[in-house]
Amino acid sequence: MLIKADHLRKVYKMGTIKVEALKEASFQISEGEFVAIIGPSGSGKSTLMHILGCLDQPTTGKYLLDEHDVSRASDDQLAEIRNKKIGFVFQQFNLLPKATILQNVCVPLIYSGIRGRRRQQKLAERALQMVGLGDRMNHRPNEISGGQKQRVAIARALINNPSLILADEPTGNLDSKTGKEIINIFQQLNNEGHTIIMVTHDQEIANQARRVIQLRDGLIQRDEVIS
Amino acid sequence: MIFEILRMALDSLTANKLRSFLSMLGIIIGVGAVIAIVSVGSGAQSQVTSQISQLGSNIINIGPGISRGRNGRISFSATDVFTMELANQLLNNCPSLSRITPNVQSSGLLIAGSANYQTSVVGVTPSYQEIYDYYPALGQFITEEQQENATNVMILGAGLAEELFPSQNPLGEKVKLFIRDRKLLFVVIGVMEEKGTGAMGNLENQALIPASVILKKINNRKYVNGYTAQAVSTGVAKTAVGEVEYFLTRYLTDTDKFRITSQEQILDTINQVTGTLSLMLGGIAGISLLVGGIGIMNIMLVSVTERTREIGIRKALGAKRKHILSQFLIESLAMSSFGGLLGIGLGWLGAMGVSKIGGWPLVVTHTSVLVAFSFSLLVGLFFGIYPARKASKLDPVIALSYE
Ligand SMILES: Nc1ncnc2c1ncn2[C@@H]1O[C@H](COP(=O)(O)OP(=O)(O)O)[C@@H](O)[C@H]1O
Ligand SMILES: [Mg+2]
Repeated sequence: MLIKADHLRKVYKMGTIKVEALKEASFQISEGEFVAIIGPSGSGKSTLMHILGCLDQPTTGKYLLDEHDVSRASDDQLAEIRNKKIGFVFQQFNLLPKATILQNVCVPLIYSGIRGRRRQQKLAERALQMVGLGDRMNHRPNEISGGQKQRVAIARALINNPSLILADEPTGNLDSKTGKEIINIFQQLNNEGHTIIMVTHDQEIANQARRVIQLRDGLIQRDEVIS
Repeated sequence: MIFEILRMALDSLTANKLRSFLSMLGIIIGVGAVIAIVSVGSGAQSQVTSQISQLGSNIINIGPGISRGRNGRISFSATDVFTMELANQLLNNCPSLSRITPNVQSSGLLIAGSANYQTSVVGVTPSYQEIYDYYPALGQFITEEQQENATNVMILGAGLAEELFPSQNPLGEKVKLFIRDRKLLFVVIGVMEEKGTGAMGNLENQALIPASVILKKINNRKYVNGYTAQAVSTGVAKTAVGEVEYFLTRYLTDTDKFRITSQEQILDTINQVTGTLSLMLGGIAGISLLVGGIGIMNIMLVSVTERTREIGIRKALGAKRKHILSQFLIESLAMSSFGGLLGIGLGWLGAMGVSKIGGWPLVVTHTSVLVAFSFSLLVGLFFGIYPARKASKLDPVIALSYE
């Protein structure tokens, strides 16, 4: 089992006010699944995503990733897990604007201690070719389209060969045609064996996944395999 | 990994060239000022000391003690203590002394043929030439015998010889000396070498005669103003001072009656004063380094805020605290060290300009360069740590959502 989420709960404190963003979430995800997390705005999708991506930790509950309990890991341990096991794709693309596309894709390699600039670039080139951007490597992010930016982000997510790809509204900033292309890439990656968890509020996009987990007010309302 | 982080830091500095330069300016000026001021200080110091050490650092002056005059003014108490006899006793009782010569002089009118010249007449003994490192260029110096017998012989300074005997060999010529109501006739036996104006004043126009002549035939007293003595070597100059002091204290039973100053003491004092001065000025310049550091901290804090999202991205992709910390720390260190290098160049140029104007040698010591540079590194480290720590502690979720 790749993911075991056990009574996850997240409470944000803002002064004296407490916001229970995630009330209770328990589920399991095995390797090779393609899961869509869906729900209206404010339902706790991103909160859950941050916990699954080891960017944040649950207030209570237990989260096992690859049989490891990460709910009590230190900041630096979490950083290492993110680097080695998780690839992120964000709605805002989150590329470094001043770096070239090739350099952007190399960033995770810097922190995983892979030595040698040539070797890093080789890996990055291969990842970019996989998403069909082999010819744009020396451009900067502001010189390419939104769809291309998201492909760069996917290449960057793949470069360390992670166990899990997490995408938070990956099509949110794209037109529907480009969005479909990105979803196609995810489907293709899933067919190749990658585990993908994708957050969306778009039912049509969610239908492209194999399983849907629906959130409402911080609770799982529905969890079913759709194809 | 350190190379990548270094490259990232340099990339971000070169991406904002003007801003990086402006924030380095404080360090540049600070380091430049420290280097220039310390260099100007040591240049001036070396000029003064080289003038003084022309006299020889093993020279010791023995003179009357200083006593407080009226209204707090300082006056030399003329005490009748220094005789030729005492000079010999000093030489015999102080093994670290090699030579001694009395200080006695007067001034009068010299007449040779139709030429006349008002000047100072210095009483000397044979040791005078070695002590002052000042020798006759023509003829010979006063001998022990002439001093013993108070013979009327005279040696002219190079300038004086030119005045009294223009284009003529003065050796063997006669010179009349009028002092107060006395009139004496001298035979010229030598002309001194040219020796310019130094710390001893202008020697060129002096006339040298046996000290005994001044004492017996002009002043009619047996006391001289003091002595100039020479220690066996520079190394024992301090010992010699001690010996003289010990002997005179016992002999005169009153330490107020004499005063001993060595060239070394004078040099020490001057070095101390100029050293303190340049240290103080360097310290003031160092404050501008501190201000420069605050400039760097300011720009680094701005940079951390501006790049909050970048930090969030890097953290999401696996950057640990140490990675972010070192990235920003290297940036501030790069700024301060590069600023330091530019400052060294600037200070060097400044010191060169001032030394040209002041006419002293350009002295830029390794120490001042090293100290100023390491101080600028320290400033970069000190003022870089807070922003870098702040960056490294950012929460990735919050940093990622930063607009
Ligand atoms: N850092 C935070 N501090 C306080 N409240 C938060 C924070 N992040 C999210 N929330 C709140 O938690 C709830 C769930 O948010 P989120 O997980 O972002 O929902 P979604 O991604 O489904 O729109 C919302 O009410 C939101 O306002
Ligand atoms: Mg969200």
